[in-house]
Amino acid sequence: MQTRSRQKWTDRAIIAVMAVLGVFMLLPFMWLFSMSFRPVADAYKMPPSFLPPTFDFTNYRAVLASEIPFLQIYWNSIQIAVLVTVGQLITCTLAAFAFARLDFPGRDSLFFIMLVGLMFPAQVTIIPIYLGYAETGLLNRPIGLALMYLTSSFGVFLVRQFMRSQPKALEEAALMDGAGYFKIFFRISLPQLRPALSALGIITFTQTWNYYFQARVLLEPQESMTLPVAMDMLRGFMGQGNLSMVMAAMSMAVLPVILIFLLAQKLVIEGVTMSGIKN
Amino acid sequence: MTATPSISASGNRPSELKRAQARAGYLFILPSFALYLTFVLAPVIVTFLLAFTYYDAIDGASFVGLDNFKRFFTDGRSLEIFWNTLRFAFFAVTFNVGVGLALALALNRAMPAFLLYFFRLAFFLPVIIAAAFVSIVWGYFYGDDLGIINYYLIRLGITPVRWLTSSSTAMMSIIIMDVWKNTGFFMIIFIAALQGVPKTIMDAAIMDGASYWRRFSRIILPWISPVIFFNIVYASIGAMQVYESIVILTSGGPGDSTRSMSIYIVEEAFGSFEIGYAASVSVILTFVILILTSLQLIASRRWVSY
Repeated sequence: MQTRSRQKWTDRAIIAVMAVLGVFMLLPFMWLFSMSFRPVADAYKMPPSFLPPTFDFTNYRAVLASEIPFLQIYWNSIQIAVLVTVGQLITCTLAAFAFARLDFPGRDSLFFIMLVGLMFPAQVTIIPIYLGYAETGLLNRPIGLALMYLTSSFGVFLVRQFMRSQPKALEEAALMDGAGYFKIFFRISLPQLRPALSALGIITFTQTWNYYFQARVLLEPQESMTLPVAMDMLRGFMGQGNLSMVMAAMSMAVLPVILIFLLAQKLVIEGVTMSGIKN
Repeated sequence: MTATPSISASGNRPSELKRAQARAGYLFILPSFALYLTFVLAPVIVTFLLAFTYYDAIDGASFVGLDNFKRFFTDGRSLEIFWNTLRFAFFAVTFNVGVGLALALALNRAMPAFLLYFFRLAFFLPVIIAAAFVSIVWGYFYGDDLGIINYYLIRLGITPVRWLTSSSTAMMSIIIMDVWKNTGFFMIIFIAALQGVPKTIMDAAIMDGASYWRRFSRIILPWISPVIFFNIVYASIGAMQVYESIVILTSGGPGDSTRSMSIYIVEEAFGSFEIGYAASVSVILTFVILILTSLQLIASRRWVSY
């Protein structure tokens, strides 16, 4: 009995320590939001604030009114992230259906070839893609960045694994009844895939929203930039005095991902960790 | 790869059905496979070829054998960058996985739902926000005179630190931020693994009066060891590619003290237009990652056997 109550108190103590640590983990985000509401004149006043002093959106308006095409940049980010997410949901699901449910010569070797793609970092594909884009006029166009991520080995793998864990009796019965493969795919397989597709969609969206390396190389002019690269530019451009404005821009830039995370926390964590355990 | 039983063609026209199924199969994989060939496989092959050439925008590529690789392994600067990357990877991996395990052990206990939500939020939010964003915030935290950390250090009577402007501390500062950003990922994986430790064995050990340390070293550690190994390999693959946090915090400086291979590749390829040489550096990076991935494959095989 005594050890049990002692255990309870250790549990509480550890959780209390972890709660303090958790607040510390969140400090950079609290600072970022709070600073975005500080008047520009007070930007560097110490001590810093970790809670918004006011809810004055002057800095946000200043970002939108500045000579940096912030709305265009934001639109580029949205466009790319949506295109890539929708693209991957379509191409990966189609391929996964074939790999999991159909039988055709070379299927397993083709699947293996696709899996090999998991091993190559962006660093080893970027040079030829850059040269090819320069040649075809896709350089410095947001669509170019979207194009190269319209499918992913990981997505195909994820959906295929999920599909294989589902019973295929319904699909077999439909085939017996003479239904075409497209009909089977849309009517029977697709509706079963909702959990896998929402996980894939969420990971793909956040991942694409966060791309920096590729975006920095392929999209140079301001009008074609995405948010992560633009933030870096903004910091230099607005200089020392405008910390509050940079943070206002940043708050707007991180908002979609934070919203997704607050609303679908479990799904995001499952998705992101799944993308880790891909092999 | 094991063969998957597929929608069986047990009708009375097997060969016709089979052909139709094959046609459908190729059609379904076509979009994905064509994109994959264009944007992954072909570029990888081209990069490997470029690595053996001197590339000129006007004259095209000319074969130079192993010159680019020789240059990388004999040039003092590139070796320093290689060493930086390995050093970063070693410390980032050790602390990311170590801290992640410690956090998982601390959080792997019963608690009310709102606390669980809070902990997930606090430790996982940094994982999903772009390094490019949080690095800018940390850049302000790490400032010499206007930095927030130094402000509090001075108020506590501690000598301020030149977090990013001294070549002896800059790498450490980047690693600290990296651990803050990524350790939550490893924590989550460890929590999942810890929840798989059989409760009956743990209860029996507690009944026998085994100390916490003993339970940890004799039951928990062996049970999760494949996961530890997986996390180490996974973290190394990511750490070897480190790019934006360094670009934003120090741009590789002071001097070359924090420059990583990814930064070097971009600078050589798109700054100096040393395309062939940059390609060889990315081939070297890929080989290091390939070795790590094969280790991971071996590890996952061990994992499955559990």
